[in-house]
Amino acid sequence: MFKILVEKELKAILLSPKFVATFGVCALLILLSVFVGIQEYNAAQEQYETAQQLLNQEVSEATSWWGINNKAYRAPDPMQIFVSGINNDVGRLSNISTWTEVKLEESTYANDTLFAVFRFIDFAFIVQVVLSLFAILFTYDAINGERESGTLKLALSNAVPRGKFMLAKFTGAWLGLTIPLLIPILLAALIVMLLRVPMDALAWAKLGTLFGASVLYFTFFIALGLLVSALTKRSSVSFLILLVAWVVLVLIVPRAATMAAGQLLQVPGVAEIESQKDRFSTDRWDAYRKERTQMWETRTAQMAGMTETERDNFRGQNEARWQQEETDSRQVVQEDIAEQARKLNEDLRNQKAEQERLAFLLSRFSPTSSYQLTAMNLGGTNTALKTRYEDAMRSYRTTFAQFVESKRQEEMEKNRRSQGQRGVMIMGGGDETLDVSELPRFQAPSHTYAEAVAPSVVDFGLLSLFSLLAFGGAFMAFLRYDVR
Amino acid sequence: MLRLLIEKELRETIGTTKFAVTFAVCALLILLAFYVGARNYQVSQSEYEAAKAENLKQMEGLTDWNQVDHRIFLPPQPLATLVSGISNDIGRTVEVRTRGELRPQDSRFNADPIYAVFRFLDLEFIFSIVLSLFAILFAYDAVNGEKERGTLRLAFANAVPRDTYIMGKLIGAFLALSVPLLIPILLGCLLLPLLGVPMAGGDWVRLGMLILSGYLYLGVFLTLSVFVSALTEHSSSSFLLMLVIWIFAVLIIPRTAVLVAGRAVDVPSIDQISYEKNRYNAQLWAEDREKMNTYWRENPPSQDAPREEVMLKFRSFMTELSDAREANARELAGRLNEDRLNREQVQQRIALSIARLSPASVFSLASSDLAGTSLDLKQRYLEAANAYQQMYEAFIREKTGSSGGFMIMIGGQSEKEPDPIDPMELPAFEYKQPETASFVEKSMLDLGLLLVFNLVFFAGAFITFLRYDVR
Amino acid sequence: METPVPMSDASTAPAAAASRPMLEAVGLSKRYEDGHLALDNMSFQVYPGQVYAMLGGNGAGKTTTINLFLNFIEPTEGEARVDGIVTHREPLKAKERIAYVSENVMLYPNFTAMQNLDFFARLGGKTKYTKEDYRKVLLRVGLEEAAHNRRLKGFSKGMRQKCGIAIAILKDAPAILLDEPTSGLDPKAGLEFIRLLHDLRAEGKAILMSTHDIFRAKEISDIVGIMNGGKLVMQRTHDDLEGENLETLYVQYMAGYMEEVG
Repeated sequence: MFKILVEKELKAILLSPKFVATFGVCALLILLSVFVGIQEYNAAQEQYETAQQLLNQEVSEATSWWGINNKAYRAPDPMQIFVSGINNDVGRLSNISTWTEVKLEESTYANDTLFAVFRFIDFAFIVQVVLSLFAILFTYDAINGERESGTLKLALSNAVPRGKFMLAKFTGAWLGLTIPLLIPILLAALIVMLLRVPMDALAWAKLGTLFGASVLYFTFFIALGLLVSALTKRSSVSFLILLVAWVVLVLIVPRAATMAAGQLLQVPGVAEIESQKDRFSTDRWDAYRKERTQMWETRTAQMAGMTETERDNFRGQNEARWQQEETDSRQVVQEDIAEQARKLNEDLRNQKAEQERLAFLLSRFSPTSSYQLTAMNLGGTNTALKTRYEDAMRSYRTTFAQFVESKRQEEMEKNRRSQGQRGVMIMGGGDETLDVSELPRFQAPSHTYAEAVAPSVVDFGLLSLFSLLAFGGAFMAFLRYDVR
Repeated sequence: MLRLLIEKELRETIGTTKFAVTFAVCALLILLAFYVGARNYQVSQSEYEAAKAENLKQMEGLTDWNQVDHRIFLPPQPLATLVSGISNDIGRTVEVRTRGELRPQDSRFNADPIYAVFRFLDLEFIFSIVLSLFAILFAYDAVNGEKERGTLRLAFANAVPRDTYIMGKLIGAFLALSVPLLIPILLGCLLLPLLGVPMAGGDWVRLGMLILSGYLYLGVFLTLSVFVSALTEHSSSSFLLMLVIWIFAVLIIPRTAVLVAGRAVDVPSIDQISYEKNRYNAQLWAEDREKMNTYWRENPPSQDAPREEVMLKFRSFMTELSDAREANARELAGRLNEDRLNREQVQQRIALSIARLSPASVFSLASSDLAGTSLDLKQRYLEAANAYQQMYEAFIREKTGSSGGFMIMIGGQSEKEPDPIDPMELPAFEYKQPETASFVEKSMLDLGLLLVFNLVFFAGAFITFLRYDVR
Repeated sequence: METPVPMSDASTAPAAAASRPMLEAVGLSKRYEDGHLALDNMSFQVYPGQVYAMLGGNGAGKTTTINLFLNFIEPTEGEARVDGIVTHREPLKAKERIAYVSENVMLYPNFTAMQNLDFFARLGGKTKYTKEDYRKVLLRVGLEEAAHNRRLKGFSKGMRQKCGIAIAILKDAPAILLDEPTSGLDPKAGLEFIRLLHDLRAEGKAILMSTHDIFRAKEISDIVGIMNGGKLVMQRTHDDLEGENLETLYVQYMAGYMEEVG
């Protein structure tokens, strides 16, 4: 009995003319998005590699440890093919220096703004927008359509328990819609392999989980369609309701939630914080300079009354110690500034995190938000992308700063010996390039499976819950449905 | 006769649940867009004011103009909140120094990536995506639905000329959708000044044209739906077809056009250009360092010359070097930037031309042009910033005698502390929008295209219906 | 009404072979939530091998009666019984014994006639039929062979009706419920249908039929019941009707009844 009903559902869907058209469009979109995503990824990878090369070149051409321009770049990730998230909105690189703090700048959209005019359609977008519409298109008249045509009466004039009928409807619809979609999805995976996108086991695991989340999201909309269809008499009414529900859930709620959070929890702008940091930095360096001037005056006073040779001796004895003092006090300044910046940053970050939590909480009323968040978590292109990289870059900067400082000490020593004018020191070495072979390089942070999945457990739960509720509602509604 | 038909259309449409529901949703969304836009403007404005204030505050107590870190900001534009365009993607803050290239930083999306997660709900989005769907919903069964119901036959059992009938359909559909929408739109427009968004005369003109472009865009989907309705027998077919067209027009074509153009035109990468600029700068600096060493060799400070005088001479020498260096660097940067800009513009032209195949892109371009948030915004802001930099440089030179971008400690301790600077003396940065006329001019092409789309589909519906099988 | 309506006892009607009626309404009443009384104390029996025709205008309660037997709605009073089984208590058991043809037969448009038959036959518990069986039944109901493998989408009303009847035949249930089976059929198809009903009756099926078609009702039915305003206002056997003019009776009772009340 159950099998008969499910078979009928499957056939009814697959044989309907709208199936070919809509399935064709969905398949095309999925494959197109993945294909384009791969092109974009390859371009990004090329850009990254070129940037690294140029950086290496620039660094190796430097002639002084004081004038070295170092940068750290974000490495492209194959998962960005499927979920671009905020990848193109967040800066690609940060300057690494002892004077400035880490800050991701130069996002793809800021530099190549043409691409921001009409944004990139990725796989996650297609699932969210197109597949959900597809599901609704097929289930909006699942029950009331059969009622309108009279086949429901006919079917129920047989010994078919309503529960079984409804379960079969759901199963049949699910199989009839989901299984065909597996074709373009698997083809997409195949294309990824064929075009030699470097996907390791971790990436495949994430991708598989993404596909799973997509199926779950799709399932919700099937259940929703059935629910509304079992609650209304006319299919034109259920279609309208579902369309409105789709507009609200998919297009409105996610955006409105973020904007509401932005209004409810105001966060100071970045520019304001930057100015505060700048002022602190200026003051601190000012103090350092005053301190240094004083130190030199003390030393000069100490040398007053010495002869030329005595002075030279004095200098020679204390050179190392003086250099160390200077380096130390410089480091203290840098640390102070870094600490202040860190505090301000952390403060801002906490406020933003609050805002984010509220926004996501509000948005989770819609399963589309849950899916989008999950997709971005899996793709590593959620808001944590920025913090993950900035944190990694900060610790790199510390390592880099330590290395460079020690090299600078050496350089200063050399300079002092070769120059020797009074009072005027021009920073910068000679004409020989530096030996940068030992310079520590930036390693892009990893994005483990646990990191990708853990924040989405909630969303998986929500999606499942929504689906169960919708189906449960449909089930209950059908038990009392007037089939005449 | 025409009036009778139009009245029937209106009555038939407006009485339905379909109409009530879609009107309610659309009205709500439009009001929401205006409200949120106004609030966003307020938030952005207070952020802007705070940034400016903090910028001046952190200068207080400094004693040397050369120590100053000065920033300028892009003020929020009233209409940008209705059509965000690219305003959230470009850098808003520029650190102004007397030397060197200016780089806008801190785009909205980079600074607050949370907004990039779901992006904004602006008027353009609502028109372009939601209202177009509802336009389809209204008109997809304009002709074949009547056939299915049997009322088409009935109508043509009377002496009704076909052209009158189809005109009635088209006009009726358009009026039924557009007139009711005027209500929330006008209410929304009222909301803007009520919530403190400063709208000048020119802004109202542009807003008016923005709404006009929205209506033209809806008209495209209405006429196209009627057209497709007259091409097919079953309303389910026309609906499906319109949905597929919508997906292509709204989702696929615009983005694909950009990607194709991106592939087709080679634009030098920004990293490459940065590298070349940096390398050249390093080279210039190395040369200048040589010159500095030479200077000291040729002008060793004598014991009796007062230190201050020595330093002043050195500083003017350095300023000369710095000026020359800056000029050279600017020249190279200018060349490289111009080349990139030219390529970018070619790319842009191709991308947007292809994109214009879809009415959704055309509308998007028209609306962002009118709101001032098209790609031009980036260029305009940079130009304004560069112009300001010259003013700033002159100011600093006047105050400190040099604008070399370096600090030379003149002398050791002096008897008294120098006076603190007055940040209020700084020239203010004003970002001026171009004239309203220029905005209008830019959008003319796209408005014209929308009109053409309307006419073509109108004609299509008309002609097809003349030979439609009404049985 | 002044005088009690003379009802013929169904058990005296011809071909009442079994001792128990296959379809029985016992004091069946249905009042909706809004107060409307759709069926008022309806009682009748249909024995195996009998055809019972319900005549009446729109809203008389004919379809409501059928819906009660199918448990699409539940009675406010009384019982509808199928082979002794009370439908609203054991609906699934009852439905095993019923075959149903609705007024406007619309089957699955993208399935062929064969596919529709196959599905509904299996749903009715008959899983052993072959393609040949379906073919025979379709031919028996008068559907030309060329149409057997065509999709329902293009079928005329008559063709769909035939498919509906074929489905009922295939279920091979002891009771058959027909809702306006001949409406929309041309005279030739109508005649074919009547012949089929003859055969089915001869097979011993109990047939309950609602119809407007007075002529055919008189022709085929063993018992005719006239309904008005939810009540059974007249019931006559075939023999009783022999001499009388059913049309006149019909109009009289309809008009008379309406005059009484008005």
